[in-house]
Amino acid sequence: MFTDASVLFQIAGIGIIVALIHTILKQMGKEEIAQFATLIGFVIVLVIVVNGLSDLFQQIKSVFLF
Amino acid sequence: MKWIGALLLISTATMIGFDWSNRLTKRPKQIRQLKSALLILEAEIVYSQAPLSDAFVSVSKKIPNPIKSFFSALGMEMQEEQFDFFSLWERKVDELVKDSNMNDSEKEILMQFGRTLGQHDIYQQQKHIQLTNVHLDRELEEALDNYQKYGKVAKSLGVLSGIFIVLLLI
Repeated sequence: MFTDASVLFQIAGIGIIVALIHTILKQMGKEEIAQFATLIGFVIVLVIVVNGLSDLFQQIKSVFLF
Repeated sequence: MKWIGALLLISTATMIGFDWSNRLTKRPKQIRQLKSALLILEAEIVYSQAPLSDAFVSVSKKIPNPIKSFFSALGMEMQEEQFDFFSLWERKVDELVKDSNMNDSEKEILMQFGRTLGQHDIYQQQKHIQLTNVHLDRELEEALDNYQKYGKVAKSLGVLSGIFIVLLLI
């Protein structure tokens, strides 16, 4: 049932790396680019999560609607 | 197989970051060398009153690369028969900027300096050399500023972006 936990680790890793990049860019004095990098990271994670959710909905549909 | 690819990606990104920071380190050093080359040139012109080709050769003996090859090539080619000094200077400055880590503003300063070289008497020439030195001072300050701002950040940014790409693809 709980087949694959690697996506969790992937998202956690992306989160850590994006946070580090944000800190470094902010230290460099490039606030806008730091915000932009965080936004890009957020969008990427969102795409991964939405993929997982669509899998879940397909599963539910196939259970209840045959 | 997967891990080899991941390692390759990370090391490539790290190397790009180190290369970037290396270029930032080298630019102020080269501008400083250019400045001391100009000071030697000034001494050669004002005190030894050497002709330009000899002055270039003796400057090239006292300065490390890549400025050395710039001056020695200039000195060599000026001993041949016919040449137009400014187009020769233009060509060599182009090569110098390509070889070294200097950028277009230093090129513009050197071009402007080349237009005055050999056109005036000794005192005017000395003034032009000092003016060029002042311009280079400003560039040096900017290059040092850039190094302090981006030099250390470049390395860690390279490593981090490598890990980021690997995490995306894994």
